[in-house]
Amino acid sequence: MKSLDGQEETTSTQEEVPEWLLDLDRVGFVRRLLFARKWYGGDWWFVLISGILLLFIIIVGIFPQWFAPYDPKVEVGPSLLPPGEAPPSFWLLTKSEGGEIELQDIADKTNNIGFIIGSAASQAMREAVDELNDTAPEGTRYQPRQQRFETLEEGLEALIAGEIDGFIASPEEIGSALDNYPSLQADKTLRERGEKGFVFGTNQIGQDVLSRIIWGTRIALIVGLSSAVVSLVVGVPLGLISGFVGGPFDRILTLLMDSIYSFPGLILAISIAAVLGAGIGNIIVSIAVLYVPTYFRIVRGQTLSVKKELYVEAARSLGTKWRDILTKYILPNVIPSVVIIFSVNVGDAILTEAGLSFLGFGLPPDTPDWGIDLARGQDYVRRAWWLITYPGLMVTLVTLSFSMLGESLSEILNPRLTER
Amino acid sequence: MTEKEILMQVRNLSVMYKTRLGEVSAVDNVSFDIHKGEILGLVGESGCGKSTMGKALMRMIQPPGKITSGQIIVDGEDIMTYDQKQMRDFRGRKVSMIFQDPMTSLNPVQRVDEHIVEAIQVHESKTKTEEALSRAEGLIQRLGIRKNRMKSYPHQLSGGMRQRVMVGLGLVLNANLIIADEATTSLDVIVEAQLADELRDIRETFGVSLLVITHNIALVAELSDRLAVMYAGHIVEMGDVETVFDTPLHPYTKGLLKSIPNIKLDDTEKLYKMPGEPPNLTHPPTGCRFHPRCPYAMPICSKYEPYFKEVLPGRAVKCWLYIDHPEKESETIEVTA
Amino acid sequence: MDNLINDKNNNDYLVEVQNLIKWFPVQTTFIDQLFSKERDFVRAVDGVSFNIRRGEVLGLAGESGSGKTTIGRVTIGLEEKTKGNVIFDGIDLSTLSAEELRKLRRRMQVIFQDPLASLNPRMSLGDAIRQGLDIHYPETANNHRDMVLDIMEKVGLSPAKFFYNKFPHQISGGQRQRVVIARALVTQPDLILADEPIAMADVSVRALLLDLMVQLKDEFNLTYLFITHDLATAKYICDRIAILYLGKIVEISELTEVYAYPLHPYTRALLAAVPVPDPHDRRTEPMPKGEIPNPINPPPGCRFHPRCPYAQEICSQQEPFLRELRIGHEVACHFAEDFLTES
Repeated sequence: MKSLDGQEETTSTQEEVPEWLLDLDRVGFVRRLLFARKWYGGDWWFVLISGILLLFIIIVGIFPQWFAPYDPKVEVGPSLLPPGEAPPSFWLLTKSEGGEIELQDIADKTNNIGFIIGSAASQAMREAVDELNDTAPEGTRYQPRQQRFETLEEGLEALIAGEIDGFIASPEEIGSALDNYPSLQADKTLRERGEKGFVFGTNQIGQDVLSRIIWGTRIALIVGLSSAVVSLVVGVPLGLISGFVGGPFDRILTLLMDSIYSFPGLILAISIAAVLGAGIGNIIVSIAVLYVPTYFRIVRGQTLSVKKELYVEAARSLGTKWRDILTKYILPNVIPSVVIIFSVNVGDAILTEAGLSFLGFGLPPDTPDWGIDLARGQDYVRRAWWLITYPGLMVTLVTLSFSMLGESLSEILNPRLTER
Repeated sequence: MTEKEILMQVRNLSVMYKTRLGEVSAVDNVSFDIHKGEILGLVGESGCGKSTMGKALMRMIQPPGKITSGQIIVDGEDIMTYDQKQMRDFRGRKVSMIFQDPMTSLNPVQRVDEHIVEAIQVHESKTKTEEALSRAEGLIQRLGIRKNRMKSYPHQLSGGMRQRVMVGLGLVLNANLIIADEATTSLDVIVEAQLADELRDIRETFGVSLLVITHNIALVAELSDRLAVMYAGHIVEMGDVETVFDTPLHPYTKGLLKSIPNIKLDDTEKLYKMPGEPPNLTHPPTGCRFHPRCPYAMPICSKYEPYFKEVLPGRAVKCWLYIDHPEKESETIEVTA
Repeated sequence: MDNLINDKNNNDYLVEVQNLIKWFPVQTTFIDQLFSKERDFVRAVDGVSFNIRRGEVLGLAGESGSGKTTIGRVTIGLEEKTKGNVIFDGIDLSTLSAEELRKLRRRMQVIFQDPLASLNPRMSLGDAIRQGLDIHYPETANNHRDMVLDIMEKVGLSPAKFFYNKFPHQISGGQRQRVVIARALVTQPDLILADEPIAMADVSVRALLLDLMVQLKDEFNLTYLFITHDLATAKYICDRIAILYLGKIVEISELTEVYAYPLHPYTRALLAAVPVPDPHDRRTEPMPKGEIPNPINPPPGCRFHPRCPYAQEICSQQEPFLRELRIGHEVACHFAEDFLTES
């Protein structure tokens, strides 16, 4: 690589340029980008990191089903399960002399099942019974009576005495007590749901937070990218033409754009969403409108300043047509800022979209969406911090990645005018 | 000039800049003297380090640049050891500077008289405003600015006048040395000549030393007593201006002098085209920094860096042609007066 | 009209400028516009006439405010004149439509002062140079790359293939100016406006560039309109030179004639002011006092009279016109004859 540097010094004399260097110039953009590392010092890793991150996020967004362990809309676990915790398992204790006994066998109206006061076993039992009822044939109904006991010993004594048909407790509660009761057996099959584990826990409905986040990526990306693309496609040409042509057309357009720009973003989006109604298309439009003025202003400003540059005048002196001046001289010098705005725009649009759904606009309520999750999780901040933490983290991460990409792109796309 | 009292001694001065591409050694181990009452010209192309040198002499190098070594001795004291307060006193009172762009070096919201009064009061805080004003008036008129322009703002003055105000700011405190960093580069030819006359006059009247930093070698020929030629962070040749012009020693100086356009019709020489370009100072050439472009280069030149040798009293050159070395194959050239 | 645009006439003069006036309106505030009908104008060019012969290098020399750059731009058609005529190869530029003028550009090109600013930072050097070809000869697009490589070699950007894909910020200042020169030459123009082309180059590179420009002029049969403030440099390239002061030509002739026998006080001062790189030959003449006045309100009569050491009463009342005092040597001064007798 040193020769590349050395080459720059000696080019004015008639020195040999190695053939590979000449070929390299023909090879093209990607290779040149790779060698751009030479000029941009240590910042290459910045692009790499944000690029990889974004690539990952995009893949997750396109194929959420590969990554999500569960269906995001279905209740798959206990509600409000902390992250990483195994769903509590419970053992059904029965007298061994009856042979293998399942919950099903002792769950109708005449049966009694006991548990310790305050234990989650009651919830577990209720849920297990509900599940039985869901899968039960017509007419059969399971509804065992519940018996509460102060301590484990009391309950176990009652079980041996035959007062209750079964006792449900968690393995922690049971401990090693079973050693003292050889006549009791434990059915550990209760609570088998959630073999894959709940890495991020579950929400109040019992949906897996991780799966919801993963599926939420898709919505976020769709809305974020689409609205950014729409804004760009509308804002950039308007800015170019307005800056180039000037005059009353420019003044009117600027006035219009400035009025839109001066609205606080979220409020404007809400108003538009309220008018247009629900639906993902309308959300995209509402957010897109928000960002058009940003593209417009920046592109117009850049066009105005580039117009005055000496190389534009040089182009004029060559006899270049106006159309070519716009496309070959002004546009390429304006695009870098557009790319940067775009990257930041996408991140911001995702935020706005989360805000809109947070407030209840647009998306149907059972959509796995970060904003909706954030809204629902508000009430549980103390009890179940993971409900808002993870969606919040995702929003932050994605926005950050886009911003990082934007910044690193700006480094690469701006020719180093001061470097020599 | 029989007596050459020394005003400033620069010893082993080095200035380094940190850039994205590496460290640039802008001034590398340079030593020279400035005499009292002399006009010393410091010439070189862009990037040779002359502006950096000027700023370094007033310790005005800002990060990412830094003076990495050296001493600057004035009146027996090394200003590199001065603290902030002493430096503030030094700047303006002992040494002052005129910059290239007169528009941006004056405060646009201060009138001319305010500028000068401020300069006086900053350094001599007990001076009353009326007294400061009368000193200012006298000086301004001496510089050729009419009294009625004292109340003008910088934007109301022309480039030449603004430069004179800058000169005035230097003189009003009886500075011993004025550093003019490309002070005439942005001025029209006639105004430049007027300013040059002015500077010569000032030297005669006040005994002020002038360090004229410029890439305009013809200007230096018109104006200065002695001449120092800089290349790639080194002073490569120094001496009386006539001697250097008549018998340049260093190959760079020779090439440079031959490449300057001369308006005189009787000079019919074709302009000499120096091959190559100034080096990249993040990776300067090994040994002598000029050797890749030097028509007289010897094998030793790429291996070792020559030192700045005083070949005659008042005449110094940094080139192996004039210095002995065990590995040298060719003869060392003797310099005769 | 098309024929005229593409054929070359056989006149002696490639360009004729007659009584050119270019005034720029001074920006006024809204209130000023309401209250006063009169506008102020910057009289950049105030009645200038000259011709450019085919194959010559005509220098337009002057300090700031002289109007030299404006004259150049109007001559090339980059600015519109206020009054007067600009005739290029027999064609009066003001009779052309915008499209015709655009096509005529092929024959008149510009080398700007600041090479970095005049190159599109996002266009490779090869693309930048071939623009002229692509615009004016779209049918031969396939050959253009080779033609560009060819001209790049000629201006010293060698090996051309290496430089073709580089960008302006990757090369040195001297090399950039060569790119600008190549861009100007590629369409084989007749006239080149060189606007202080070497002012921003390094001292050691200037000689190279000057040499290149002279070489190319001979090889391509070019005509230069060379704008400069540096009279020393002008000596090495200009055949004829016009000295400008505050929008008017004060003296014009062969360069050697003007430098040897300057007849206008301003020319004499200007020539004396230029520093000579010879410490044995220092200037002894004093310089005129004062500075160039504001072009919005030029002095009445002869514009130089407030600073002229020889001014008399008539100088403030009557404006002198260019008159021929020696063969091919015109001066605009009432007392120029006094200098005739000096050697």
